[in-house]
Amino acid sequence: MPVYVDISRCIGCRSCEVACQRVHGGKGHVNVHMVGDHASVPIFCHHCEEATCAMACFTGALYKDGERTAFDVEKCTGCGLCRLACPFGVVWTDKLAHKCDLCVGRETPTCILTCPANALSTDFDQASRRARARAALAAAHGGRR
Amino acid sequence: MIRVDESKCLGCLSCSNVCPSQNITRLETSEKRSIHWKKCKEECDLCVEFCPAKALALVPFDEASEEPTVTFDLVSCKICGGGYATEPMLRRIESTLPLNLQKDSTGLAWIWVCPACRRNIEAERATKQMVLERSRRRP
Repeated sequence: MPVYVDISRCIGCRSCEVACQRVHGGKGHVNVHMVGDHASVPIFCHHCEEATCAMACFTGALYKDGERTAFDVEKCTGCGLCRLACPFGVVWTDKLAHKCDLCVGRETPTCILTCPANALSTDFDQASRRARARAALAAAHGGRR
Repeated sequence: MIRVDESKCLGCLSCSNVCPSQNITRLETSEKRSIHWKKCKEECDLCVEFCPAKALALVPFDEASEEPTVTFDLVSCKICGGGYATEPMLRRIESTLPLNLQKDSTGLAWIWVCPACRRNIEAERATKQMVLERSRRRP
């Protein structure tokens, strides 16, 4: 259950970045990237099924907990192998590693609750469902989609 | 006292992070990373235990021996050119990833790109996909 992004909705306000930093003691795990004039893209941990960060971790500090790639700070030595093993660059190490924990203990990740544009969701199908709904609406009105 | 097998050391700084008496010091510039093991009389072996490469060993204290220092040139990112990791660390990651993940169209080329540039690549990929989907949606 990672955080899915409908980037066509993202307005680049960086609210998710701030929300993430607020609940994680100043160390955030979201980066909003501006790609030219086209888009703003928040980059999140994918919570990969075959998590390369967890494979690289030799102490077992990073591990799969259901769909979540979880992190046990007690076991971390700060070696930084996970940071280098993440293909998306979303594990950080400064002394100790830190990454998205999907706001463990909260019902919904804070970034999702905060996003004013409703661009974030834990529902994989949301973006495509919205697109289908738009198409259906357009067809019903006989207009451009 | 700690003996270092320099050929095995990855330069990851795990030992320096876990040492409770700060006897393992580091010096890092944008191009190089040095790790220095001070002679210690402790019977503690935390660094030995937490070395991912098993490069350290606890040996009896010897006044005559020299304090080891290992220096690594940082690998520069294929895209931005900034130093971001030591080569043995990247080689280790390359060897720990299973073969099926290495069959990706780009292989493991991403390992030689720094994390910040990896995020940029992902952002650009997502943007391209969105623009493509948008143009497909329009008649």
